[in-house]
Amino acid sequence: MSVSQISVFLESEPGHLHRILDMFEDGNVSVRGYCAADTGDYGIVRFVVDKPEVALKLLQNSGCAAKMSNVLCLRMVDKPGELARVMAIFAEHAINVVYSYSLISTYIALSVSDVESAETILKGEPVELVSQEDLEQYSYTV
Amino acid sequence: MFDPKVKGAALQAAARGDFSSLPIFRPEIECADRLTIERIQLEKLQAQVAWAYNRVPWYQKKMDDAGVSPSDIKTLRDVTKLPFTDKTALRDTFPFGLFAVPLEEVEELHASSGTTGKPIVVGYTKQDMDTWADCIMRLAQMAGVVPGDRAQMAFGYGMFTGGFGLHYGLQRLGCMMIPAGSGNTERHIDMIHDYGTTVLVATPSYAMHICEVGEQLGFDWESSTLRVGLFGGEPCPPALKAEIESRMHIVCTDNYGLTEVNGPGVSGECLASRDMQHIAEDHYLWEIIDPETGEQLPAGEEGELVLTPLDKQAIPVLRYRTHDLTRVVTEPCACGRTLARMQKVRSRSDDMLIIRGTNVFPSQVEDVLSGIEGVTTHYKILVETQNGMDKMTVLTELKPEAFSDSFDEMNKFRSNVEDKLRSVLQVSAKVKLVEPGGIERTTGKSKHVEDRRAK
Repeated sequence: MSVSQISVFLESEPGHLHRILDMFEDGNVSVRGYCAADTGDYGIVRFVVDKPEVALKLLQNSGCAAKMSNVLCLRMVDKPGELARVMAIFAEHAINVVYSYSLISTYIALSVSDVESAETILKGEPVELVSQEDLEQYSYTV
Repeated sequence: MFDPKVKGAALQAAARGDFSSLPIFRPEIECADRLTIERIQLEKLQAQVAWAYNRVPWYQKKMDDAGVSPSDIKTLRDVTKLPFTDKTALRDTFPFGLFAVPLEEVEELHASSGTTGKPIVVGYTKQDMDTWADCIMRLAQMAGVVPGDRAQMAFGYGMFTGGFGLHYGLQRLGCMMIPAGSGNTERHIDMIHDYGTTVLVATPSYAMHICEVGEQLGFDWESSTLRVGLFGGEPCPPALKAEIESRMHIVCTDNYGLTEVNGPGVSGECLASRDMQHIAEDHYLWEIIDPETGEQLPAGEEGELVLTPLDKQAIPVLRYRTHDLTRVVTEPCACGRTLARMQKVRSRSDDMLIIRGTNVFPSQVEDVLSGIEGVTTHYKILVETQNGMDKMTVLTELKPEAFSDSFDEMNKFRSNVEDKLRSVLQVSAKVKLVEPGGIERTTGKSKHVEDRRAK
């Protein structure tokens, strides 16, 4: 049920992120969410996309340092207290969120150390997990 | 040329262009006429070549191969018959292959970084230590240092020749030594204040740092006892020196030397011609050569400095190629000395860098990087001045397979590269990981170094 995340090693220099996004556009890869932080002179930019295999291939073919990993993706309702409710569930089960960022609409991606066991736990909880297929089929007009 | 607020009558007179109150340590040599100097040089050269030939098989073979014997040295010009010695000679014979005396006669060892992992190690007999101290005493007096001065050492001691070299020489001159060592800037400033330090021995960049930290602490350099800065360990850009002088109200000189031929003291700056340094010609025979052809160039022309120490017992070094570019003039100097003067070295005929007083060759960086899985062999060395100090950054390309989606892992990886570089270079370098393919590929001799420091 988890989704694939693409991480790319990028220098913090003008144009570097743009170059990656151009590549995605050329390959018809749609970015559903990403995160980039100010971590000094280099960074790891993480993407959740509709076609992760295609994206990884594009990056690798161009010589980029890129990796694919699994993260959880949750869909939430856009109302006050919703994020707190979800994080309380993680806290209750002692699942540490290594990092997290929001995607399209009220979707958030969460990196945890053990994706599979977290999925099992979350299936019994009132949260809506999102699959890669959901992301692929997501359309702005829906 | 001088800060108007220099301290002491002799330096104030020098600031007015009158150098007669400044001491000359060994006037019978330093002010001798050229014929006398050349007579001493020839006598010593003949003995030195014989010493090397008879005692060091490496030289014997090299001279035999070149078809030259000690008896062929009949004039100073005959030195050109001898083969050159390069840094590789000391590396290839590491550690004691060039020693001409049993180790029981060696009083001390010193070392500097070599072109690869192994250092260049040199030894000194008692007489070598005397020669070295003689050179230091001369350059100290050129700057107006006198017996009774209180000299604070801000060089690191250890294997580096600058620390003990200056220490012994200044002590021999009659200075009270304050062996503070490098680092702990605030303590240095306290010591200058508490002990009435008059002479500071430092790299120019560290002296600048001491100056700035002192200013931030509200220390009044004008009323301090400090009078003279003796600089070394790295090239001293004139603008930096002038700034230190005007902010600390002292005079600063720097000297030239290299570990392979004793260390500091080969030549020293006098206060009358501040872009030049008097060579201790009775201890060193100088030549200027065309670095491409190896041919000697006439006096006054710029080329590579080649040095033959004339009375070195432990390690004779014949025609050492310094790779430093300079020119030498033999006209007498306004300070009263007649010893030849070499222009301060600003460039080299090879790619050696001096980082905070430590010699660094790009090949060393390349060696370290090629031993690390996870980076490519493409690299770039960037040298800048930050807060008056040299800052070296090594840019290296991350291989895609070494990438990890974790900042922790990436930081560990980078620290590991930094540790490995430091252990070989003996000086710290910041590592910047760049994307695969991120370092510009150049055709031919690729440009690995970008030195943005002021010259």
